[in-house]
Amino acid sequence: MKAFGFDYKRGTSIIHILDPRSKFIYTILFTALTVYFVNPLVLLLVFLSSVPMVIVAGVGKSWLRSIRGSLFFIAFIFIFNLIGIFWTTGSVADALIMSISMSLRFMALISIFSVFFLTTPPEDLTQSMVQLKIPYDYALTFNMAMRFVPTLSREAQIIMDAQRSRGLELEKGNIFQRVRNYIPILIPLIISSFRRAELVADAMESRAFGAAKRRTSLYVLTMGRRDFFFILFSAAAFLAFLSLKILLGIQ
Amino acid sequence: MPIVEIRSLSYTYPGSTKPTLTNVNLSVEEGEFILLTGPSGCGKTTLCRCLNGLIPNSYGGEFNGQVIVDGLVTTEHPVYEIAQHVGLVFQNPENELFCTSVEREVAFGPENLALPREEVRKRVEESLAMVGISHLRDKSPEELSGGEQQKVAIAALLAMKPKILVLDEPTANLDPASAQSVLNTLLKLNEESGVTMILVEHRLEMVAHMAHRCAILNEGRLVLVGKPEDVLYSDEAEAIGIGIPKVVQVTKALGINKMTGKCPLTSWSLADLLRVWKN
Repeated sequence: MKAFGFDYKRGTSIIHILDPRSKFIYTILFTALTVYFVNPLVLLLVFLSSVPMVIVAGVGKSWLRSIRGSLFFIAFIFIFNLIGIFWTTGSVADALIMSISMSLRFMALISIFSVFFLTTPPEDLTQSMVQLKIPYDYALTFNMAMRFVPTLSREAQIIMDAQRSRGLELEKGNIFQRVRNYIPILIPLIISSFRRAELVADAMESRAFGAAKRRTSLYVLTMGRRDFFFILFSAAAFLAFLSLKILLGIQ
Repeated sequence: MPIVEIRSLSYTYPGSTKPTLTNVNLSVEEGEFILLTGPSGCGKTTLCRCLNGLIPNSYGGEFNGQVIVDGLVTTEHPVYEIAQHVGLVFQNPENELFCTSVEREVAFGPENLALPREEVRKRVEESLAMVGISHLRDKSPEELSGGEQQKVAIAALLAMKPKILVLDEPTANLDPASAQSVLNTLLKLNEESGVTMILVEHRLEMVAHMAHRCAILNEGRLVLVGKPEDVLYSDEAEAIGIGIPKVVQVTKALGINKMTGKCPLTSWSLADLLRVWKN
């Protein structure tokens, strides 16, 4: 999971203290750009535009880990496109450019989302969902899902160790057998997750979860001047990119 | 009037044929510190869940008898209401803590009660101070030691201002030093803030001398209730197979309790007795 940039660590940079909603607007706008353009140079530019934010936020290490973690997928996308497009068009140059674009698009997406998740505390995300009028139950479910990812992966590791010490060989056989080898891991994991869910529910109820329709929040997110400028800047950059298409006809 | 009153309580989990609790009677006075112990699977955890209404309100099953806490009959009030009178601390802090900072964790309860923001803030400060963890407020629960995590869980419940704390083996996953620290916190809360404690514990060596009364649960029945020294020195307690403290075993083996008429519960009090005896 760490590979996908959910590895939030507390920070005090300007990017960290921005309102999640303004960062979300940036994420949406730039995601739209990656989908809209196919020109590899533009996509590279979109990708590079997220790098200064990574540097300002000081999350370079985790960001690199996200990118490195997705290299396998990028390679997959590259090769798949290369073969596919060459097959249909017969042109090596076309195929090469297109697969580079696709890989860059994916990298840009990973980078943009990493910036968002690496600098946004899960609770602030929940809080911003609540302030966007998403029911608290759904927001909390999302928050909890994120919270228990490391717990579950630790548990999966323990179960794997336990089953291996009883002689289970995970890496044996062809691909179908290998998938089947994981059944003795999955079943205990699912059962223990259900039990855990019950215990967490008990703990929440014991702290008056569901007592009031509208709960208070200790912290309320407010958009400040810096959020205003950040959104303005994101929107300007977005329009600048769009003008490439309108003025220069770049696809 | 007792603050906790359990009247002929019997309970069978849904889908089970054998009752987990059978005819349990207990009344606890305000400010008392009760130590509840018994072999694994004797129904201690079930009894804890009955005390804040999780059973039967969230669990269903066959519930007979009555549990009254701070004047509330548990079957007639929802868990979130009872939670403001009885705080329940669980065994594994990992399942109790789900926020990314200690402060937010403690605020979760009062937030749910929809208290005004200033009141939430005030309660967070007070609860952190009561448990002595104000310096940890900005940490993530994951960075903390097991003992600190359990203190966060306790503070999170204190923020609901309960008169009664029920703790289900809070030290089970802790090393001896952290366990001692958590138990000292409980003693302080009991003595200084008058919180009624019902503590389920196996580490009798550490807690027996703190408790006003000790109760032993065996196979779903409350078999012994009384002063800790009376209960732990009894032959029944020895037969049930709870971890009788070494001090008690040594004192009994040497016959010191019969000779002096005193029943020490800590190594220190036994040492004092021996010193007097030697001179």
